[in-house]
Amino acid sequence: MQIEATCETARSAEAPQVLALPPDAILEDIANEIAGVERIDIHFPSFKDGRGFSLAARLRERGFEGELRAVGNLIPDQARLLKRAGFDRVAPDQSGQAERWNAALTAFSGDYQPAEDKTEPAFARRARKTRAALADALNADYADRPAREVLAAALDRFKGRIAVLSSFGAESAAGLAMIAEIAPDTPVFFLDTERHFAQTLDYRDALVKRLGLTNVKILRADRDEAAAEDADGQLWRRDSDACCALRKVRPLARALAGYDALITGRKRYHGGVRETLEPFEFDGVRIKVNPLAGWSREDVQAVFEKLDLPAHPMVEQGYVSIGCWPCTAPASPANVRDGRWRGQDKTECGIHQPLAAGGQGGPLL
Amino acid sequence: MYRYDEIDDTLVRERVEEFRGQVAARIKGDLTEDQFKPLRLMNGVYLQLHAYMLRVAIPYGVLSSDQLRMLAHVARTYDRGYGHFTTRQNIQYNWPRLVDIPEILDQLASVEMHAIQTSGNCIRNTTTDPFAGAAADEVSDPRPWCELIRQWSTLHPEFTYLPRKFKIAVTGAKADRAAIGVHDIGLRLVAGENGDIGFEVHAGGGQGRTPRVAVKLRDFVGQRDLLAYLTAILRVYNLAGRRDNMYKARIKILVESMGADAFTEAVEDEFARLKNGPLTIPVEEIERVAAHFLPPAADPRPVAKSADPAFLRWKAHNVKPHKVDGLRSVVVSLKPTGKTPGDASAGQMDALADLADRYGLSEIRVTKEQNLVLPHVAAADLADLHAVLAGLELATPNAGLASDIVSCPGLDYCNLANARSIPLAQAISKRLAETGLDEPAGELTIKISGCINACGHHHVANIGLLGVDKKGEEVYQLTVGGVADGQSAVGKILGPGFTADSAVEAVLTVVRVFTERRTGAETFIETLGRIGADPFKEAVYAD
Repeated sequence: MQIEATCETARSAEAPQVLALPPDAILEDIANEIAGVERIDIHFPSFKDGRGFSLAARLRERGFEGELRAVGNLIPDQARLLKRAGFDRVAPDQSGQAERWNAALTAFSGDYQPAEDKTEPAFARRARKTRAALADALNADYADRPAREVLAAALDRFKGRIAVLSSFGAESAAGLAMIAEIAPDTPVFFLDTERHFAQTLDYRDALVKRLGLTNVKILRADRDEAAAEDADGQLWRRDSDACCALRKVRPLARALAGYDALITGRKRYHGGVRETLEPFEFDGVRIKVNPLAGWSREDVQAVFEKLDLPAHPMVEQGYVSIGCWPCTAPASPANVRDGRWRGQDKTECGIHQPLAAGGQGGPLL
Repeated sequence: MYRYDEIDDTLVRERVEEFRGQVAARIKGDLTEDQFKPLRLMNGVYLQLHAYMLRVAIPYGVLSSDQLRMLAHVARTYDRGYGHFTTRQNIQYNWPRLVDIPEILDQLASVEMHAIQTSGNCIRNTTTDPFAGAAADEVSDPRPWCELIRQWSTLHPEFTYLPRKFKIAVTGAKADRAAIGVHDIGLRLVAGENGDIGFEVHAGGGQGRTPRVAVKLRDFVGQRDLLAYLTAILRVYNLAGRRDNMYKARIKILVESMGADAFTEAVEDEFARLKNGPLTIPVEEIERVAAHFLPPAADPRPVAKSADPAFLRWKAHNVKPHKVDGLRSVVVSLKPTGKTPGDASAGQMDALADLADRYGLSEIRVTKEQNLVLPHVAAADLADLHAVLAGLELATPNAGLASDIVSCPGLDYCNLANARSIPLAQAISKRLAETGLDEPAGELTIKISGCINACGHHHVANIGLLGVDKKGEEVYQLTVGGVADGQSAVGKILGPGFTADSAVEAVLTVVRVFTERRTGAETFIETLGRIGADPFKEAVYAD
């Protein structure tokens, strides 16, 4: 946070892109004025008047990304609180205390609360360590256990805060059948990118009915975001990463708020980054459960045959990994991910990438 | 009980260093008294009538024996050999020197204690049932939640300069012993529809010059959403609470002026934005904190029968049921006849710490009635414990009785007070002993405040005394019918005020009328409800 020597300039500079807010400003009433503003100056009539802290935090939470400046009767001892409430600069009435201002900024090395400076609060730091240790412990216990045991343990350990992610693709039925048998009300997330093959959607509906899954949640891109980022529907052509981010990564991140564990159907034999996959994986935020990590293509096939599961209608046309129609092609069973984003360096859409702790705007854990 | 990890320890030590720097800056003149005042208050330092006063936090009233020994050490080394336990489960020292306070805080940090936010317009020490984790009627242990609230509220970036002070109380038992109805926020642990434990949330209660009983905002808030919901309430208050008049700045005034429905709607709107965000408490953290508060083991030893009348009387009043077989909770009365309510000497504190080690799993609680509690004592050890307590003048058998008087420090110490409180408490206590009314009256609350700030909780006393200044004279108003716990109620003024001496006799008269008119095992409130205030009024104002 920048400390200005004096606030004289702040008071005189009434540039059109700067908005000065009194402490009693009501954000709902001035939403239009805030749009497009580069800097907001919040006035503190007295250092004992803490309304400006809540105003700043609210502005940040509602997405204001411009500069926030605290102006007025403030004392150096408040430096850290101001920074944590979301201020970038402070212009105090009383000048000449730069040393005390800067010292106050570093008086504490950790914080209990999540705040707008986006440092990791104590509870998240502790829980992240615990969760990472839990993934290691579970791997030690379950590394060589059958998929069903891994799944049952995960569904029990994370009861009420675990979901399944399924593409309803070529192999999905095998894992979903197991979930349907143990806990059919487990939330199953399906990312409807609105770019799926019609066959996938039909197959999804048929499979849900056949297996008796009772809690399928269809996730789609945010309407406003889609209108802004992909007005012509051709984003996949220009930038497939941006398309995946809009239609898969962000909708999933939003849906996962409140969930601490996510079951995936990824397998080591898929190759690439999946070659080292373990049954439990801590991604910095939540635990990914990969009960089928050790399965081969033959193992999947065997379950399909044993349970007489219907195959995705496109499998017989040579599709072995099925995503959105613009970015999916048939491939060889030896390299199943080769048919995805063919011609690009890309093999993953991003939903399985490890996240920085505290990222994504959802719960820190 | 909760033990600090490295994060907690570092923060408290950094806070000591910060305050050391602020004291130095004040002495050097870099901070004016106006600027220094809120900073010292948020470290528990008041300027009283005769000296600085230091209020040390006892988070939710829970102490280890080592912590109590440290409190004794501070009393002996930096004060006049005693400390005063307060109605907010804290302890105050009346005579420390400002220059010594950083050093006192440093020593407190060595036993995981601090004075953070024991004063100032910020979130204060969270209070709870002194029998938490022991009470037989407990739904769920409130202490883990008090600790989570303690951490969340400590050095909060948004809520350190509120319109006014802010107090949160949590109860986990069916019987509310935390007075959640008269707190800024009152939380009651309840079981939800699917058996999950969550919180019933009340807000807008308080005492002071405008006593109000809190309104219920919500029947159920899930555990992981607690901090998001508290943040929503505090944010609405911080932005909209009055700052033009300190007497109208508490949340109770805001709730009343907005109306309960509009206030609730504003909170819910804010909560909807915060829910599922970064304030969601990780399950791992809830489990980590809760693991510090496991129930003690049962004690199967047989209990010898005693015929000692002193022991039996003490057992009847000061020993409470426990949720674990073979254990009891013991109230250690700090109300011997004629003494200052809530005061304990360094010697008593040290001795009690030793008794806690010997008989009570090294744990002590502070009650809002200004007593101490040994929460986990084996029934088999009660007689031995009683004998030792009696020798320390700590076995007064009056827990919950009329002579268990609550009193603020009053004009003897406090620069806000209009009148003395302690001498009245001492006199009433003596007169109750002389007249023999204490025992027949049964459970009855008498509370005394030396001014309208109501630190003595007189509003919620069955019989309350409020000291006011009337043209330079100390005058006392007598109220009857207040209730702190459960269905909180504010007492009503009985009639014209009294001088100190006649106030003492008026209280005695009310107690006497009650003992004469009660039928069966009626409580004071039940008798008052049945016969009304007139019989009390007539007797009090008869001569």
